[in-house]
Amino acid sequence: MSGYKRDWKGNEKKREGGGGGYKPATQRILVQNEYTPMFDNIRAELDEHHDRRERIVKLSRDITALSKKIIFTLQRVRKISPNLPKHIQSEVDSRLTEISKLLALLAPEIQGINRHRYARSLSCLEELAEALTFAHYLKTQTLISPQDLNLFVEDLTRKGGAAAAQDDTTMTDDNNNNTQLLPAVDLTQEDYLYGVFDLTGEMMRFATTSTALSGTMGMASAAGERTIVEDMHELGSFFEMLPVGNGNKFQWYKKLDVTRQSVKKVERLGYDRTIRGSERPAGWVPDLSGAGDMVEGEERED
Amino acid sequence: MAPPMIDPALFDQLRSNIEQDTTVRKELDQIVDDLNQDVAFTQGLLSRIHSTPRFKYQSLFTQVEPALTKQTATISKLSNFASQYPYYKYNHKYTRTLQEAITNLLLSTWLGAPSFSPTPLTPGHLLTLDAVGSHLQVPVNLKSGQEDKFHITIEEYLLALINVIDELSRLAMNSVTLGDTALAVQISGFIKDLHAGFQVLNLKNDILRKRVDSIKYAVKKAEDIVYDLSLRNLIPKKEVAEEEGHDVKTE
Repeated sequence: MSGYKRDWKGNEKKREGGGGGYKPATQRILVQNEYTPMFDNIRAELDEHHDRRERIVKLSRDITALSKKIIFTLQRVRKISPNLPKHIQSEVDSRLTEISKLLALLAPEIQGINRHRYARSLSCLEELAEALTFAHYLKTQTLISPQDLNLFVEDLTRKGGAAAAQDDTTMTDDNNNNTQLLPAVDLTQEDYLYGVFDLTGEMMRFATTSTALSGTMGMASAAGERTIVEDMHELGSFFEMLPVGNGNKFQWYKKLDVTRQSVKKVERLGYDRTIRGSERPAGWVPDLSGAGDMVEGEERED
Repeated sequence: MAPPMIDPALFDQLRSNIEQDTTVRKELDQIVDDLNQDVAFTQGLLSRIHSTPRFKYQSLFTQVEPALTKQTATISKLSNFASQYPYYKYNHKYTRTLQEAITNLLLSTWLGAPSFSPTPLTPGHLLTLDAVGSHLQVPVNLKSGQEDKFHITIEEYLLALINVIDELSRLAMNSVTLGDTALAVQISGFIKDLHAGFQVLNLKNDILRKRVDSIKYAVKKAEDIVYDLSLRNLIPKKEVAEEEGHDVKTE
């Protein structure tokens, strides 16, 4: 509004009649009629829903970021072995502790009916599944089952909840007993499968770096051991044989396509190693897995 | 010897889960198809309000009501089936159809279709979300902590209400053509009241926001009609008073 009329003393002039004048926006919104109470109730309900979604999106973003950091850390591993190098294991553990606290905050928001209501805002669970399946593969060279993964995530959530409760000194007494009752985050089959789709990409990256750096593709080369090429082939066939997931078919086909490409890249690596690997003098590149940050620096200089 | 990369049992388990999901979706599609048909038929019948003068509405409603009853029966079938699964997992498959079913219900009761309720409703009465739930005999607005089963959400009710507003703004014009200027004035008041109600809501950038934004065009359309009428002195005296009182009552 550009302004208002003043009387001869300079005070705002009351408008007479009011008809035809433009009413300010606030006044129009405050119109009361028989439907106002209904809309007031609805407003409260919608606000609650929007606030919850906001909280979930924020937590999800943080969990995604931490999971990505775990994956990057794991990509510095050079060899599949039941025990990860110490500095890597401790880094992963500290990230997992952070994630567990966030999961404990997330869990109560997505119980029961809300689990699927906010499923679209929960892409962090795919990312987490990717990080955890990758860690599991690097340790055992097997694919973790959804049940085991779920148990792990549940456990992680409850640990986070228990840790948060212990910080809160007023209620330490009961909490050890209640840990089992704390709500947990559960992964759906979609979260798991999309996580495993992405796992193939990580395996491809792992195979490529470890081949480039040590010429071994990250495996013990003893006879009778499986190679990453074989594992990738198995995962590839696994996804080709599975019926297409029903949720978002477009996304499924996209991920399947990326998986196919990863399989082909690793095949090529296997071929190269078979042809030229024997030309490498054995052991000319040291095992870098224990060396830590210094090695990272050297790599960059090359 | 290391264990295999993928436990063979794992594949079977995942496959059977996906197959089960597919079966559920197929069965659901069947029910939603039926509901679509019922809703479309009812909608078609209701579209005759645009060419029927108000004093003949009662005979139109004798046809509409069985159609509404059929629609309700299919919704209860849907409700029984969908309640077996997490509600929001499959909700997207039928939410649109459900909205239109609710639109039919709201529109015909507002226009004065007398039955389904033990106490006959007067024309101009808007069913609340709770009333819609009790008409259809399904729960409404289930939230965290409540049972995860079929229900009508707030969003579905609001979107249905916006459909009603659109339809009524069209009816305002056609009722003038049929010589019923009083109905146009009544509709204009109703739409303005609802518009004020929707402005109370804090909306996010989603489908609801987009549809709510469209209400102002319906308001404008209805107001233009009233303006045209008042310019030509075609508004009956009683409606003028009501329009100014901004609180529309009937009889």
